[in-house]
Amino acid sequence: MNHFTLKSYLTSNLDLREEEINTILTECNTRIVSKDEYLLKSQEYCKHIFFVEDGLLRQFSIDEKGKEHILHFAPEGWFVTDRESVFFNQPSQFNIQALEDTRVAVLDDAFFKILEEKMPSFRDFNHRMIHSYIRSLQNRIMMLLSNTAEDRYLKFIKKYPDIPLRVPQWMIASYLGITPESLSRVRKELAQRHK
Amino acid sequence: MKPRSVELVASPGQPHFVGDGFRVHNFIPSGFRMDMQRMDPFIMLDYNSKFHFPASSRPKGVGVHPHRGFETVTIAYKGKVQHHDSSGGGGVIGEGDIQWMTAASGVLHKEFHEEEWSKKGGEFQMVQLWVNLPAKDKMSAPKYQAIKNDSVPRVQLDPKGSEIDVIAGEFEHVKGVASTFTPINMWNAHLKEGSEVKLNFPSHFNTVLLVVEGEIEVNGTDRAPTDHLVLLANDGEEFSVKANQDSKVLVLSGEPINEPIAAHGPFVMNTRQELMEAFNDFNEGKFGYLED
Repeated sequence: MNHFTLKSYLTSNLDLREEEINTILTECNTRIVSKDEYLLKSQEYCKHIFFVEDGLLRQFSIDEKGKEHILHFAPEGWFVTDRESVFFNQPSQFNIQALEDTRVAVLDDAFFKILEEKMPSFRDFNHRMIHSYIRSLQNRIMMLLSNTAEDRYLKFIKKYPDIPLRVPQWMIASYLGITPESLSRVRKELAQRHK
Repeated sequence: MKPRSVELVASPGQPHFVGDGFRVHNFIPSGFRMDMQRMDPFIMLDYNSKFHFPASSRPKGVGVHPHRGFETVTIAYKGKVQHHDSSGGGGVIGEGDIQWMTAASGVLHKEFHEEEWSKKGGEFQMVQLWVNLPAKDKMSAPKYQAIKNDSVPRVQLDPKGSEIDVIAGEFEHVKGVASTFTPINMWNAHLKEGSEVKLNFPSHFNTVLLVVEGEIEVNGTDRAPTDHLVLLANDGEEFSVKANQDSKVLVLSGEPINEPIAAHGPFVMNTRQELMEAFNDFNEGKFGYLED
């Protein structure tokens, strides 16, 4: 809903001095990717952390049958990377692709490590990020294990209020682990209830 | 009457596709000095300049999407569009027709090339305009005005055959066919080569001319060829439009609503809170349901 810059994100989320923020920004590149372009392809080693300033990314895998499974959408103000690939230095099972023309701030993985060593507040921030990521993944697993299609959709629109207008239905269905037909039925039932 | 000068003549920018059926140049709000506040009450103007679509058995267009808080006006110059909405309404906008849809509290709709037209393909040329609504009318009930070409009042200008179609507003005491929430003039001027007409609007009315065909000269100085848009300054009332060749010009002039604008995607409200409500209402199905 807003055009976020990494600078404004860092200023409002981390207790850093201006020169520390400037140190981070000088090491960080801005990249413009066109719709459909990839920032990461599966089997590559993920070496970067992306912060979405404007636009929309998705992180997804493709199974043996060629079916796509969406792990995350990353709109403005979101970080996206494959921490597994970065930390364990192993090929990624994920693709990161732009769903709109997108502007990202790109942080190098090596630089991320330096920041952690040199700036205690950055280390605290990253620690918090990892834990909120674990929380989000746990919630996601529980949603997929125990929620009805309607509950999944209702949670989705709370988390991503403007995504239903930005991506095709089948992508939302893929994220929710339901068929596009089920999603269509859920939306129809919700509409009928509000008549 | 004080003369009104030309603020700028805008050339059409890089086109982009809306869905796969509309290849448009956006003038408002992305054009230089043409943001929503400056152009109020005209908050979006997409112009599909003449473009050839090849025959297609699957009609091209744009799928289900919502609108809230304003009106959409579609003016078909070439080609045909079929539309459907969540209240069960629908219809065909043919060449020369205008569809004035008051989305107001919320409509879900989809627009595609008309099926038979799509099978043959051909030249396609349209304008889609968003007209803002004042806060008090933003949540009023949605409605349509389907305006057929032959129902638009015409004013003859000269013996050469130049004339003005009054879609909305008033020209020389002839009232337009469309009803509007705020004072708006929307005319199609068909000017024969060499014809000249003097137009005047209150100086605070935001005013543009879109050259759909031909070439015009405004105030004897500023030349605007096909597909260009002339933005008039708000420094006076009267200006002249002369056709250097047979021309068709969309004339828009409206009184600014002068209220705060909070816009995102297909919703144009007054506050951020109202925008969030629009997203929630859409997501929760309160705009109804329409099959893709």
